[in-house]
Amino acid sequence: MQGNKVDAITVEIVGNLLLSIAEEIGVALIKSSYSSNIKERHDCSSAVFDAQGNLIAQAEHIPMHLGSMLDSIQAVMARYPLAEIAEGDMFIANDPYKGGGSHLPDIVVAAPVFAEGRLIAWVANIAHHSDIGGIVPGSTSGEVTNIFQEGIRLPALRVCRNGEVMQEIFDIIIGNSRTPKERVGDLNAQVAANRIGIRRIVEAYEKYRETLETAMQDLQIYAENSLRAGIAKIKDGVYHFYDYVDDMDNLEEQVKIDVVITVAGDDITLDFSSSSPQVPANINVTYGGLLATVFYTLKALIDPHIPSNSGIYRAFKVIARPGSVINAEEPGPIGERMSTCQRVVEVILGALYEVMPERVMACSHDGGTSVNLSGVNPRTGDFFIYPEGVAGGEGAHAFRDGMSGVQVHMTNTSNLPVEVLEMENPLLVENYSLRADSGGAGKFRGGQGIERTICMLADNVRFTGHGGRQFIPAWGLDGGQEGAAGSFYLHRKDGSRERLSSVCTGVALNRGEKIQVLTPGGGGFGDPKLRSREAVLRDLEDGKISEEQAHRVYGLE
Amino acid sequence: MSVLIGIDVGGTFTDFSCFDTDRRELFYYKVSSTPDDPSRAIVNGLKELLEQRGIDPLEISYLAHGTTVATNALIQKKGGKTALITTKGFRDLLEIGRQTRPSLYELDKAGVPPIVPGKYRCEVRERLLYDGSEYQPLDEEGTRETVRYLKQEGITSVAVCTLFSFVNPAHERRIEEILQEEFPEAYVSVSNRVVPEFREYSRMSTTVVNAFLGPVMEQYVTNFQDSIRSLGIKASPYITQSNGSIISIQETKKCPVRTALSGPSAGVVAAEYVTSMCGIQNLITFDMGGTSADISLISGAGYRLSSEKLLEGYTLRTPMIDIETVGAGGGSIAYIDNGGALKVGPQSAGAKPGPAAYNRGGTQPTVTDANVLLGRLNPERILGGRMQVRRDLAEQALHREICEKTGLDVIEAAKGVIAVVNSNMVRTTRIVSVERGYDVREFALVAFGGAGPLHACEIARELGIRTVIIPPSPGTLCSLGLLAADIKYDYARTALLDVGEEALGQVSELFAGLEAEGRAFLDKEGVPEASRQFVRRIDARYKMQNYELSVPMEDGPVDLDKLLRAVEAFHAEHEKNYGYCNRTQPVQFVNFRLTAVGQRQKPLLQIAARQQGEFMPVGHRPVYFDRETGFVDCPIYNREEMYAGDRLTGPAVIEQMDSTIVIMPGWDARLEETGILRLDSCTGGEA
Repeated sequence: MQGNKVDAITVEIVGNLLLSIAEEIGVALIKSSYSSNIKERHDCSSAVFDAQGNLIAQAEHIPMHLGSMLDSIQAVMARYPLAEIAEGDMFIANDPYKGGGSHLPDIVVAAPVFAEGRLIAWVANIAHHSDIGGIVPGSTSGEVTNIFQEGIRLPALRVCRNGEVMQEIFDIIIGNSRTPKERVGDLNAQVAANRIGIRRIVEAYEKYRETLETAMQDLQIYAENSLRAGIAKIKDGVYHFYDYVDDMDNLEEQVKIDVVITVAGDDITLDFSSSSPQVPANINVTYGGLLATVFYTLKALIDPHIPSNSGIYRAFKVIARPGSVINAEEPGPIGERMSTCQRVVEVILGALYEVMPERVMACSHDGGTSVNLSGVNPRTGDFFIYPEGVAGGEGAHAFRDGMSGVQVHMTNTSNLPVEVLEMENPLLVENYSLRADSGGAGKFRGGQGIERTICMLADNVRFTGHGGRQFIPAWGLDGGQEGAAGSFYLHRKDGSRERLSSVCTGVALNRGEKIQVLTPGGGGFGDPKLRSREAVLRDLEDGKISEEQAHRVYGLE
Repeated sequence: MSVLIGIDVGGTFTDFSCFDTDRRELFYYKVSSTPDDPSRAIVNGLKELLEQRGIDPLEISYLAHGTTVATNALIQKKGGKTALITTKGFRDLLEIGRQTRPSLYELDKAGVPPIVPGKYRCEVRERLLYDGSEYQPLDEEGTRETVRYLKQEGITSVAVCTLFSFVNPAHERRIEEILQEEFPEAYVSVSNRVVPEFREYSRMSTTVVNAFLGPVMEQYVTNFQDSIRSLGIKASPYITQSNGSIISIQETKKCPVRTALSGPSAGVVAAEYVTSMCGIQNLITFDMGGTSADISLISGAGYRLSSEKLLEGYTLRTPMIDIETVGAGGGSIAYIDNGGALKVGPQSAGAKPGPAAYNRGGTQPTVTDANVLLGRLNPERILGGRMQVRRDLAEQALHREICEKTGLDVIEAAKGVIAVVNSNMVRTTRIVSVERGYDVREFALVAFGGAGPLHACEIARELGIRTVIIPPSPGTLCSLGLLAADIKYDYARTALLDVGEEALGQVSELFAGLEAEGRAFLDKEGVPEASRQFVRRIDARYKMQNYELSVPMEDGPVDLDKLLRAVEAFHAEHEKNYGYCNRTQPVQFVNFRLTAVGQRQKPLLQIAARQQGEFMPVGHRPVYFDRETGFVDCPIYNREEMYAGDRLTGPAVIEQMDSTIVIMPGWDARLEETGILRLDSCTGGEA
């Protein structure tokens, strides 16, 4: 495909316009949604597609959502013949095996755009709903063995007709959620956001006519060309790396993620064939989720400015065995796919370190540490669910320390302010701090993990948690050391503490009891003895490392 | 005689706008900026200005300036040696922030280092609950020890931010008292005074930045006042704030963070003032300079304030004019990227090495070079003939960087560069307008900055805007804004209240409290009763939502009808912004805001009418307009020869000392009695 020239000017101008439309859909969704998950944590995305359902422009806030709507439009068109798709229709889906996103809480709402009676494009958005049924509040449980336990499954279905919401479909979803009021608000926001997108695409068509459609094709060629130009600069060869997903301490065997990368000219093939079979636990990834992850990694490594559209998927090849953990089949559970996706990123980075040592960073914290507290709020009598992803340490780079307490790679969701969470939930956050000595030692230090302790102000609160890298810490590079592993603790009122499993579901807590979450630090880069003495002293003064580590590991006199 | 002076400090030039109230004469002056100490250019400029115009320093009745002191201190990380005192368990919040990384895909990008390093982030035992009740009392002895430690360490500034202090400031007040007792010489910044609103990280970050800037601002204020007095000027100077108003220089010492984003705000105020004289209320301000363009929206309700922004990577929650900046200016560099697309900016050739055509060492093609090739910018001389332009160098640069890589000819490439940079600015304009629920076609575009008037007609056409306003001196408009600004201070309180009869007492009390603060402020500023105004707003949301919209609240005694009208305004605002509203959903009030305003007399702009002769072009040259017209032998006019009432029809180019105005075919131009050039599209419904 390389050598296909695009209209340099139109690509830029129409690309700008379509991206601003995608962004406008996202802004409308974030602002008008009800749940903190979408509004405060921006766990959502929005996009524009061509008439065939190819992704043209996407506004994503977390990379996990990249391409997560790719299958949705295809699934709609597979179910409904074109003649049955009309102006004023919208479609909904959440089943990753049948046109949804990458796990069930992500609900997609897609809308066809018509001009002069002809289908010219699609707009869609995806949002993480905080509860869509399943065996636990929040819908994500480490104890499930199949997808039926993870909540309601919606294949691609019509949800609006003649511009009106089909209440019967909404009612099915609402009836399956523990937080129905929030669901109504969020679903309405998704529909309203698409309406804005439709209006804007029609305006764009009135202005550019057929040029709009040509430019949509050009934009895909442009993205493919851009990625290929970068691949061509990587030294040809075969590169191999593997790591394990250690999240499930209840599994008999560790889950291996293995990649063999072959670079030849401007072609790149990523072969995950030697990865483990899928597991009866919720860390499986669908093929769509795997593609999104590979795309993120190549974009970040090669050219962060490549537009997110279907063209880039034509610039790389992925081999993954159906039925393996990174290409799961029904009814494999997938709720906590994030940890596995993060591992996919790390093995690609690990494999390419050899040829891109200046770009590749050491391993980061897992990124999938999630905590969920739920129960009845005695102040209101309402059921509450408080979900949070807790960040950790970033891996160090060849030229700088890793960032502390930050989200990496596939996710970038922000935290809920403590003042907001305490106003809404019967919880008290006792600390939210950086863990000393948790960043992997090195010439450049890995970022620090987080310590967060939450005290219950009500009885009968349930804790569900999931944490990766609690057994296999984040690795360092070039002599850098590994970061500290994570852990969950339960503090009882008598002062005793108990380590919890890295995947726990529905742990009952009463008033005064506490959950302590420790997240992993990032790996270091380079020999710690080569770290500048000023940096070691500064870390010591700032409480980032202990005296003991300063002397023993960094060799401070 | 009385003279009003507004001074805008820019990166390259410091501009002066002066208004003689007796003669009703407006004049401008310009000196080179002195970035190492901006007040030097101000003082030197003033001295020259007073001498040249024969003004007695005592005749200066008003002196206001925009200052970049706070902004620069933050950029260069040259502030006070700052410490933080916070609730036990939360000292690292300053570093964790919202736990997000600055760029999704750029792996090498790191967040900014926190202003306070770990060793000066101190915790004290104390804790309040969500409703302000005390969960754990303040450990006063521990606090005292902490303060002594900070004093010993040579700290100059202390920020205090504890959880839920916006509900109950008692603990913060006590910490402040202890600081007073133990460490009176420290600059102290306390979160419930700086940002009495919920969301602890934003409050903490803003309070810390405020503490960091405090000593720098104190010193600047002292120096500046001394130098002004040494010139014999008795008027007490004002400084602009990020919310577009002015404030006496003394007050800025308390809250320097409120000036940190004031740079582009004076331009917005000036644009609003200028267009108000044309009777236009809905406008988009478009300020395009050498490296970037600042774009904002003003509707009938005045300019929009946004409450939170990142500056240099630091979160600031302070009222500021909602301005979007895009890396698109005359110096923006054009190139072909790896995928074969034409990109323009955000890298800029700036003033040095500058565009290729300026022959100051720049070799990359820029927007200015494209404008030269299309004949829009004078291809021989600009700045009233003071600077030579080299068309051949512009052509070489475009040829090498664009044409050779795409097969486009030089003119096509130049057209492409303009089209792309315009589309970048259009995208930004959409952010401030359509993404906020406005129909951009109902707005006029006010173009200023050196490059704004060059691109305004095309941007307007792209957006379906039918009126463009060019102020008298587009290149120095910001300094005029300082003559047009009012005195304002914004106050806020957070209180989550469900709307209803029961809330009345508390709402009433909250506004009474805010008004008392506002009144005390206006007393101090010496604002007469007749010029005072108090503007109330309420941030409201649907219960369970976590995002607020701000709506106006009527003046006078608070009653249920007023509350309900505010709720109705909220529904309407929600509908406008997000496409739906839900009148059955309970509404919650979140923040209560009051702006205390001291209105000032503004200069009247006017220009003489033509007595004799006719408005004639000074020459002709080929200028490219659009695909239909191609190059046209276009009349070139000189704005200095234009009198009130003069008209012309596009295609035309008007040149003036500090800018060049391109008038597209199908647009009429008329110079109004105020000296404002008004362009109207005369074709039907083109969008």
